[in-house]
Amino acid sequence: MASPKTVPKDAQVMMQILKDMGITEYEPRVINQMLEFTYRYVTTIIEDAKIYSTHAKKSNVDADDIKLAIQCRVDQSFISPPPRDFLLDIARQKNQTPLPLIKPYTGPRLPPDRYCLTAPNYRLKSLQKKVSSSAGRITVPRLSVGAVSSRPSTPTLGTPSVQTVGTKVGTPVSLTGQRFTVQIPSSQAASVKSATPTTPTVQNVLINPSLIGSKNILITTNMVSQNSSGDSTSLKRKHEDEDDYDAL
Amino acid sequence: MAAVQDGQMELDAEKETKPEVLSDGTSNLSGSTASGTPLTAGGAPTQEDQQTLIAVLQFLKRNKLSDSVEILRREAGLGDQEDSQTLEGSGGGKGDGGGGDANSLLSRVSIPSAAAPQNTPTPATVKRADEQLDVSVVLSAYSQQGDPSLYQVYYSGLKNFIESVLDCHRAELSQLFYPLFVHMYLELVYNNHESKAKAFFEKFGGDQECYYQDDLRILCGLTKKEHLKGNEALLDFRTSRFVLRISRDSYQLLKRHLQERHNNQIWNIIQEHLYIDIFDGMPRSKSQIDSLSGSFAGEARREVNKVKVFHGLLKEPEIEVPLDDEDDEAENEEGKPKKKKTKKDSVGSKSKKQDPNAPQQNRIPLPELKDSDKLDKVMYMKECTKRIRLNPENLPSICFYSFLNAYQGLTAVDFTDDSSLLAGGFADSTVRVWSVTPKKLRKVKSATELNLIDKESDDVLERIMDEKTASELKILYGHGGPVYGLSFSPDRNYLLSSSEDGTVRLWSLQTFTCLVGYKGHNYPVWDTHFSPFGYYFVSGGHDRVARLWATDHYQPLRIFAGHLADVTCTRFHPNSNYVATGSTDRTIRLWDVLNGNCVRIFTGHKGPIHSLAFSPNGKFLASGSTDGRVLLWDIGHGLMIGELKGHTDTIYALKFSRDGEILASGSMDNTVRLWDSIKAFDDVETDDFTAATGHVPLPDNSQELLLGTYHSKSTPVTHLHFTRRNLLLAAGAYTSQ
Repeated sequence: MASPKTVPKDAQVMMQILKDMGITEYEPRVINQMLEFTYRYVTTIIEDAKIYSTHAKKSNVDADDIKLAIQCRVDQSFISPPPRDFLLDIARQKNQTPLPLIKPYTGPRLPPDRYCLTAPNYRLKSLQKKVSSSAGRITVPRLSVGAVSSRPSTPTLGTPSVQTVGTKVGTPVSLTGQRFTVQIPSSQAASVKSATPTTPTVQNVLINPSLIGSKNILITTNMVSQNSSGDSTSLKRKHEDEDDYDAL
Repeated sequence: MAAVQDGQMELDAEKETKPEVLSDGTSNLSGSTASGTPLTAGGAPTQEDQQTLIAVLQFLKRNKLSDSVEILRREAGLGDQEDSQTLEGSGGGKGDGGGGDANSLLSRVSIPSAAAPQNTPTPATVKRADEQLDVSVVLSAYSQQGDPSLYQVYYSGLKNFIESVLDCHRAELSQLFYPLFVHMYLELVYNNHESKAKAFFEKFGGDQECYYQDDLRILCGLTKKEHLKGNEALLDFRTSRFVLRISRDSYQLLKRHLQERHNNQIWNIIQEHLYIDIFDGMPRSKSQIDSLSGSFAGEARREVNKVKVFHGLLKEPEIEVPLDDEDDEAENEEGKPKKKKTKKDSVGSKSKKQDPNAPQQNRIPLPELKDSDKLDKVMYMKECTKRIRLNPENLPSICFYSFLNAYQGLTAVDFTDDSSLLAGGFADSTVRVWSVTPKKLRKVKSATELNLIDKESDDVLERIMDEKTASELKILYGHGGPVYGLSFSPDRNYLLSSSEDGTVRLWSLQTFTCLVGYKGHNYPVWDTHFSPFGYYFVSGGHDRVARLWATDHYQPLRIFAGHLADVTCTRFHPNSNYVATGSTDRTIRLWDVLNGNCVRIFTGHKGPIHSLAFSPNGKFLASGSTDGRVLLWDIGHGLMIGELKGHTDTIYALKFSRDGEILASGSMDNTVRLWDSIKAFDDVETDDFTAATGHVPLPDNSQELLLGTYHSKSTPVTHLHFTRRNLLLAAGAYTSQ
């Protein structure tokens, strides 16, 4: 520790305060941190007080302004835990409900998905530019005959695309009822229905409807997803468990 | 709101109304939610109303609102005469200011009561003066109950009295000093008598017990009313009753002395702020009192510790344990055909009768055993057979895991029950998981790859693991502040961590990602612990409550509120029906999971409690704190049965061996100490008699119980763990100073 003679006065005061409060052992950086905090706090208070005093059209900052500044800041920065009687009250309320029974055989026991951190936190952007460039390459699209419903505008198709990204391999199959699956000749896929897990390349793309009349063609892809297998079930669960969150 | 259990009836009716209205007034005006309806002993409710009306009248008169006075007088039907008399009294009284007059009025009141025979008008005037006194006191509300400069006189008077009393009573009555001192000091501060408060503190502060000195240091920093506002702990101290246990004889002495005096300030404070738990029996000695005192709110009332606690263990389910071929390899080297025998698990089913101290199996809902759990249990049984029996001659070996390069950032450690994984929580908000065995940590494969594997193969559990991710260490990122508590789940699937950012996070040990963040505490969470059966966990933090959660509920199931300061340590009882919490207010509370009630309060530590351990048979609790002592508690009777002295610094780790024969404690003084717990629990006899008085004579045998002290070079011990075969593992961060 620096010798008391060479230490600036503020630091000496801080050392004395720590000694008075009974703190005898501390790292040397503690003094610096305490001084920084003190400086920041005091300047904030004084600046606030200056604002209040100019608002009250006073020429000088006086004690009342400082008091007001402190009061306002205390509620903002130094919040203390709730008072005891409040805690006893909510505890009494909460403890009255009996413990819920445990459902058997439900796999990992986790809260509803909206309260978990297991959902994918990313979404792939749809690549509009590549559509026009690759559209030219589609000369002989091999269409799988599935029910083609005229899909409305582009954005709604965006949502199914999100789902396919995050889901397991099998899901796109179920959605083919609504769209075409088209294989870009440059891909390595063997089958039309890109359901096999080993096709990593086909992209999720929207084709301009004007190209193919009123029918929209959506080329589905399988991006190799790194998410755990719980996700597909988790997405399905999202709809079921929407209203399932526990009430108080 | 009677402060004192006995003796109410002995007081005069007048005296009685005075303190009660006093407390009524203060409680009303302080806005507390305590019941504001006092029980006036002899009087009907109308007397109380009368007094309130008179009080209002006086107030209006004082503020010179004469018209309102007239209207009120007319409507309330108060006679003129009565008022004029009281007016005179009040005129003389009010002139000098509230405080000193309360004193003089009090003296006027007490004198007539002493001189009993009076003519009839005088009792009437006395009664009015009495009411007048009540009124003035009601009006002066929070203000001091006496002249501030006289506080020192009162205190020294009491001090002289107590010093003159017989030895056997002196120890008990000395308990009064500390709470009285603090309350009088706070009164002075609250009423803005800063200089007098400081003088009072300087004169009497040094006399207090040494274990209160830390609190007093904080107190002496509080010199203004505004300082009190933000300080929750002190506000709680002011509103909650400090509990003292005094024998009947000593109490009689004290009461007689205080009632002889004319200035009854001390008596008022006692009645308002202290709760005197009177017991019949021998007065306690100084050492007995010292062993149980030290907490913020005094000791625990005896009724609190009388609730029945089911401390027995739950029955183990019967599982067939096949005798494994591998164990018999040594014998069957010649290749004889090995017969597979099944052996029934006989540990739990020896007694078909229900242990009277054990809770019902379905008292709280517990998760049922899955197949993987049953396999775990089979492994557990096998390890149990190979367990080393420990005793004073056969001490466990200790294996110390030192965390290097932690730079004092190691804040929490936990081992899995089978000692295969070790987790460390750090001040840089990371949680690191290491594999203790040569087997590396692997993540589960991704969804696409999982589809490819053969689900019917025998080693499917191995195949789902991704070899490319094998490593000895996995780092878990997610918290926003230092990680203060860690707990592995019993089935090794999950890890819980609690942090300064106010959340408790559940991590999966199969994917090594965070699954859930439980938000409830908005303040640092100091500790968390999984239930021994999984599914439930408890967390305790800076907001002075402990919460019980289940992994599939995003909100807590139970809130255990009652501590006066932060909850620093939380542990489940082996039967999962009770939770023990240790706190900075130096008490340990035992809570019932079923209904959230506090069933035990244990006082006696002189510093914040940082470690708790239940004995494997569920009957005893050991606790360690910053004062370097380990205290042993009998849960069934609610008594302290042992004190282990030896450590010189905070004890952060406590663990019982697997069969409860040895208690290991690790502390910041770089040592691990082993204590003979069988001897500690045998020596003490607890029965109903001792339970009634509330204390057991403690033998001072720490030296005999200490079996060994093991020093590490310069590594404080953060965590202790007994493996299933009774090898002791210790963990700590190497500090190079």
